[in-house]
Amino acid sequence: MIDQSERLAIIALVLILIGLPIAIFGYQYGLRPALAGVRTIDIIAAAPEDGGFQPDAIEVQKGETVRLRFSVPDVTHGVAIAGLGVDLGHIDPGQVKEVEVTFDQPGKVTFYCNAWCSPNHWRMRGTITIIDPADPDAHRRIEAAPDPVIESLIEREMDIDAPHDAAISPNEPVSAAEGGPLVENYRADLPVDFFDPLWLQRQSPAEAFSVLKETLPNLTDAQRWNIIAHLWTDSLAESELTWAQTEYIKNCAACHGETGNGDGPAAAAINAQLATTAMNNDKVASFAPASPTMGATTEIYYAKLRRGGMGTSMPGFGDIFDTEETWRLAHYIWRLTFAPAKPSPQ
Amino acid sequence: MNTTRIDLLTKIPLLKSILKSRFFQPVLMLGTLFFFVFAILTGFFGTPAGSKNFSIIYIWIVWWAVLIIVLVPFFGRLWCTVCPIPGPGEWLQRRGIIQKRYPKLMTLRRRWPRQLKNIWLQNVAFLGMALFSAIILTRPSVTAWVLFAFLILGVVLSAIYDNRIFCRYVCPVGGFIGLYSLTATVELRVKDAQICKDHSTKDCVIGTENSYGCPWMVFPGNLERNAYCGLCTECLKTCPRDNIALNLRPFGSDLLVAKGRSLDEAYKAFIMLACALMYSVVLLGPWGWLKGWANMNSLGQWAIYAVGFLTINLLIVPGLFWLTAQAARLLARLDISPRQAFVDYAYTLVPMGLMGWIAFSFSFVFVNGSYALPVLSDPFGWGWNLLGTKDFPWTPFLPQVAAALQLITLLIGLGFSIAIAYRIGRQHAGSDALAWRGALPITAFLTGVTLLFTKLYLG
Repeated sequence: MIDQSERLAIIALVLILIGLPIAIFGYQYGLRPALAGVRTIDIIAAAPEDGGFQPDAIEVQKGETVRLRFSVPDVTHGVAIAGLGVDLGHIDPGQVKEVEVTFDQPGKVTFYCNAWCSPNHWRMRGTITIIDPADPDAHRRIEAAPDPVIESLIEREMDIDAPHDAAISPNEPVSAAEGGPLVENYRADLPVDFFDPLWLQRQSPAEAFSVLKETLPNLTDAQRWNIIAHLWTDSLAESELTWAQTEYIKNCAACHGETGNGDGPAAAAINAQLATTAMNNDKVASFAPASPTMGATTEIYYAKLRRGGMGTSMPGFGDIFDTEETWRLAHYIWRLTFAPAKPSPQ
Repeated sequence: MNTTRIDLLTKIPLLKSILKSRFFQPVLMLGTLFFFVFAILTGFFGTPAGSKNFSIIYIWIVWWAVLIIVLVPFFGRLWCTVCPIPGPGEWLQRRGIIQKRYPKLMTLRRRWPRQLKNIWLQNVAFLGMALFSAIILTRPSVTAWVLFAFLILGVVLSAIYDNRIFCRYVCPVGGFIGLYSLTATVELRVKDAQICKDHSTKDCVIGTENSYGCPWMVFPGNLERNAYCGLCTECLKTCPRDNIALNLRPFGSDLLVAKGRSLDEAYKAFIMLACALMYSVVLLGPWGWLKGWANMNSLGQWAIYAVGFLTINLLIVPGLFWLTAQAARLLARLDISPRQAFVDYAYTLVPMGLMGWIAFSFSFVFVNGSYALPVLSDPFGWGWNLLGTKDFPWTPFLPQVAAALQLITLLIGLGFSIAIAYRIGRQHAGSDALAWRGALPITAFLTGVTLLFTKLYLG
């Protein structure tokens, strides 16, 4: 015969061993989502070698509001969602951050890590596919749309990934600031192309230098380079510059270095890895004013940013930045090359 | 009447009624079992980030600090009173939780090997855990496995053997609590040993209709040291002569009890002291590479660490102390064997070791104690905010005070240990002067240890 106290003790024991887990998991996976009011998607954000985003492919309905809850088990990550202006900032191990998003347009958006977390950081991406129930193929059509700039480069048989070596490059410090007054002084003598944004995008500084040498033979080489530096860095408004600088630091500086010298904290490991493979570029690119930077063009930077460097470690950012943002970053690279003045590695 | 003892049960009748109640221990054990199971669940299913997981913060910071800073020095084995680990096994053995319902325990009735009726197994278990401490203390899932394994082992041993074999001979925590409870300011003893001697039925050993014989396999009538009394208070419920006392007593009283001193306990003292030093070096020191080795960054490096760790624990510290004890024996002209000098003087390391552990604990309690608040609100790291403290930032608490407390604690340990060295020497030496001469090498050894701790904590 079990007396009252024994019965109570057994009930307490059962509650601890069975009731407690049921209560915890019931709350986490039943009650809590129900109380949230919107669909909650839990996403583990781990370094790519530990699985990356889990899950890394999410489907939502057009017009649906979902709560994306990111938890981090290993090292500090940064989570952002491309195209939606969502940046949760750094998430430390054990920390949980969430955001509620309504997806109004069909298509595919990328969520990605924007804090250097591992040598495989760039692989840490996931996608959210927004499906329109009324037009289930809409997102696929949007995805398949080609990029006209890249298409144009291909049509012109430009090899985006080949090294763009230049026969000539500055042999002394270049100053975009000094180039500004020179442009004003020689505005009438400069070729009209120099003021055509499309021409500037498609022209390398070395090519422009050759043109200047013919059209303005009285200038010194330094003056010509200063004019080029000014023209190549004059395209971004202040707010665009700030945006580009922030995104460059978050997404590019780990490899290319804060000042664009190709000496970011991840560069050494990537260079070592590249050295063992037969790739076109055997090093993380430096944007210093030397060959091959002087042989590159803004549209080539744009193309590399959009779809990555084939045969290199350069990842594509086409899923993360829209075309306008990509142009901003491509132009910003010339800022690293020409402004502020930096000595040539030669 | 012993004038240095105050029987709390006589002074506080309410305490006596509480302790005599059959509800007392099971209710507390069910309470701690709740937190224990919760810690296992958080360890298995919560975030792997230790600083955000209940299991790591509440087991290795909160529980550890309460145990080593408060429970052990003041209340001895009080943790063993409430520890949930033996609970499920014992309740299965007894087929009941509160009341005694069956006259015999349900076990396979195997006999525990005579060779293991000591704390060597506990020494090995503690060293085994200590070797993996950098991993156990930081990875919630590993902590959960350890806790779960303890629970299962407790059940399995309770199914094979009568009574609390796990607690008495296996538990790595129980081993050092037993040794350090020799210093505790509380003891459970009989009021009059003669009453026990004359009591023919020995109910406290074999039990009665309504209560059990001592689960720790101890005859209270012979109790002179805290080491193996688990403070389960079963004898209080069993004794028909009302002969059990719960005494308040001076710190360190049992260290002078010569009966019961043994090599396994001496080694426990060495292991605990060496581990306190090693933990301080590995977990608090500036040597990242060593932490990497202990953290098993590579198996080869860990193997080197393990060999070094075991060598320091089992050979170097005991070896140095052997030389010290022999010097003390010669200086004090003690007429005892080298082995006895080694074992007896080893007890001088108990206050030093305990205070070393307390000082070690101060370092992370003050610095990392603030993790306890957010973890309380979000024990799994799932983004809960139960109490609204989820975002409480990590805030080191008065680190300068921690450093001062560490120094004071170490000096108290040094002072106590030197006093014990003299008094142990006096048990064998012909005069006070000889006892003090014997204490000199021990003092040198203890001072060296104190300086080492001080260097590690204060730089």
